[in-house]
Amino acid sequence: MIIQAFSAFFATFFFSIIFNISKKELIYCGLGGAIGWSIYLYVLHKTQSPVMASFCGAFIVGIFSRIMSKIRKVPVTIFLVSGIIPLVPGAGMYRTMFAIVDNDLSKAATHGILTLQIAGVIAMAMVMVSSFPHHSHSNVNK
Amino acid sequence: MEHRSLLRIALLAGEIMLRNGAETYRVEDTINRILKSYDFEVIESFVTPTGIFVTVADSSMEMITLIKRVQKRATHLEKVALVNDLSRRFVAGNLSIPQALQELQEINKKPSYPPCLMILSIGLAAAFFTVVFGGHWQDFIISGLIGMIWATLQMYLHHKEVSNFFVNLVGGACIGCIGILFTEVIPLGQNLDPIIIGSIMPLVPGVAITNAIRDTIQGDLVAGNSRASEAFLIAISIATGVGIVLKIYMLITGGTIL
Repeated sequence: MIIQAFSAFFATFFFSIIFNISKKELIYCGLGGAIGWSIYLYVLHKTQSPVMASFCGAFIVGIFSRIMSKIRKVPVTIFLVSGIIPLVPGAGMYRTMFAIVDNDLSKAATHGILTLQIAGVIAMAMVMVSSFPHHSHSNVNK
Repeated sequence: MEHRSLLRIALLAGEIMLRNGAETYRVEDTINRILKSYDFEVIESFVTPTGIFVTVADSSMEMITLIKRVQKRATHLEKVALVNDLSRRFVAGNLSIPQALQELQEINKKPSYPPCLMILSIGLAAAFFTVVFGGHWQDFIISGLIGMIWATLQMYLHHKEVSNFFVNLVGGACIGCIGILFTEVIPLGQNLDPIIIGSIMPLVPGVAITNAIRDTIQGDLVAGNSRASEAFLIAISIATGVGIVLKIYMLITGGTIL
């Protein structure tokens, strides 16, 4: 699990370079990805539910991004976009597609619905975090 | 004349933000904020992922409407942060109009990270994602290789101005080919599954997905929907690329992979 969290840090870190995020924020972006993925693994271990785990991971990434954007005074998108990347159901997408190629439609439906569920709860987590009231109007964009 | 230069600044700021991956509401907000520093009676801005519309009016002048079509989009989040910061300083009165315009043009020209670093990062991102999804160290090396080959190919295709859909299709096919080559033909990699999943992660439209959700929450439904369809199209083209290669391989060998 430590190796996985560690890898998530570096994966997010290099991803942030792909997104052209400035050098000063790269470490924090990596940190966001590692925190999100650790929470995901922990909840997955406790509940055996990838949907629940994705929700918790995305929720924590959202809160982390809000806090970091206040501290570092840059738009919240920078941390949100990079932190959410490990949680995006790329694996689910691939397995759905693979099952379709394999003509195994019941498997395709299982993976497809799971992927949609995960994408949905990540969206819901972001909605909930973004809907917290802002402290003052001048802070809306920070 | 002041209002014209102000309008130019607002539009340029909005354009830079929109081109480089900012959310729609942030672009509208920045444009409105900059324009409010002059006493216009009417300020309206409407932003979609492919264009900006701004109208200002005053009792002393005719109504002015400007439209800016935005075609090429990339992801350069540092520019978004810089313009965001600039608009704040401008509104606070710490920048004159010519200064702001000059600084905006400098931001616009700001280069991305060098191509070699970009290729290396895509490779390493793919490699680390393979480990995240349960790959071994041999898989780590193969994914890194796939990522770098694919990144080089992508840069070449973008340079030739091939459409995005086709670039992603080729990307998916490239990942599938090299993945099969190193696991089935040359049995160096342990398992194909994490290699392919890790390698497609750098292609996943992260910015489009995140912004689609954030735009929809903000009530920019048109923008949210068009970004969601952008993300969906990218995902489908990648999946099709990988799928075609796997299917062809299965037809040739007659067996199944995994």
